[in-house]
Amino acid sequence: MSGKIKATIDQIVRVRANGDNVRAMMTATKLLLKGVDPEAYTAASPDDPVVIAKLRTIAAEWGIKL
Amino acid sequence: MQSRTAFSLAHDPEVAAAAIVAGLAPIRPRLLVYFASPVLDHAELSARFKAAFPAADCIGCTTAGELVSGQMLKKSVVAMALPVETVAEAAVAVVRDVRSGDALAEAIRSLEATIGHPLRTVDPARYVGLILIDGMSGMEESVMETLGDVTDVVFIGGSAGDDLAFRSTRVSANGESYEHAAVLALLRPARPFEFLKTQSFVNLEKRLTPTKVDEATRTVLEFNGRAAADAYAEALGVPREDLATRFMSNPLGLMTGGRPYVRSPRVVTESGGIAFYCGIREGIELSVLQSTQIVEDTTRALANECANGPVSAIINFHCILRTLELEQEGQTEAYGRVFADVAMVGFSTYGEQFVGHINQTAAMLLIR
Repeated sequence: MSGKIKATIDQIVRVRANGDNVRAMMTATKLLLKGVDPEAYTAASPDDPVVIAKLRTIAAEWGIKL
Repeated sequence: MQSRTAFSLAHDPEVAAAAIVAGLAPIRPRLLVYFASPVLDHAELSARFKAAFPAADCIGCTTAGELVSGQMLKKSVVAMALPVETVAEAAVAVVRDVRSGDALAEAIRSLEATIGHPLRTVDPARYVGLILIDGMSGMEESVMETLGDVTDVVFIGGSAGDDLAFRSTRVSANGESYEHAAVLALLRPARPFEFLKTQSFVNLEKRLTPTKVDEATRTVLEFNGRAAADAYAEALGVPREDLATRFMSNPLGLMTGGRPYVRSPRVVTESGGIAFYCGIREGIELSVLQSTQIVEDTTRALANECANGPVSAIINFHCILRTLELEQEGQTEAYGRVFADVAMVGFSTYGEQFVGHINQTAAMLLIR
């Protein structure tokens, strides 16, 4: 399976940014600093369970329901 | 009324504070920001500023050099008075022990109590955060990450210095001075504000992936599965024994949107690892950078900002490694002149904060 990481990143950024481009950029930077590089994943990226778990943890910390 | 800056070269806190208070007149600040060499008694200086401006929030820290409109200074005190026409509202809290999550949570609750809202709901388009943090703590990443988790407000700031003694730094708030601490200030500027993060590097398009990291000591043990120093030296095409001589001109960058969050190497360890001045995440690819011209790059970056309208105040968090490079190249006077026409105050930091913790960067808050 593939694409779940990018989809999850996109969802987190979309919810946190709430339509604001600057906030979207800041959110992407925060993800990078937390150890998930949004630019490193595409729809073809394999569904690495470690990265997906990390994203779920971040989403929970930010109060985002996936 | 516009923000105003002043400085003093006196080492007696009473004399320095008096000179600065006189230099800031007739401004009645809503916020006073000051940066001082550790040659001055920081506790006394802090108390004197608060006594002079009891109605203002007064925040500051010790430095490794100071900046003020038109000048880079050493062993001085610099200050900026921001009137209510510039900063409409301010809340200040102290993290009394930066190693304590409870202390940070308490400071966050204090800010929230002052402004009457949870930080999570505060509009980042209307508010900005300042942070001054102990530069010897190694806790900048943790504190910034927590702040980034609880709010979308951007916190910008610097790690306090101690004139390169690397023993002890101090931060201060409202007349009190603290060690092992951080000061957080949540501001609602009365004018539009922006951020300028500038670093003078190009991407060499050579990549190193940390494959083994000791995050607690900010040390990379391996890049690309090899001893970190060997892989780094190979990427630069230099013998390993010469690697440290290239650290300042060839740090690494965490790339986002085509721009680096600079990670500066500090030392090669006995085991062939590399200790950095900021945290490195395992598995996140880094790019090798090449330094360019700080004065020219900063002039251009500031001109781009000023092309969008006048800037009334700048608070400049300027990496000590940039200062050292400017000193080596005899360009400190030229760098100071970049800011000759604007009210600017800043200091040479042991690290900069902008969303995260970074190195070899000038992170600036610009108020229109």
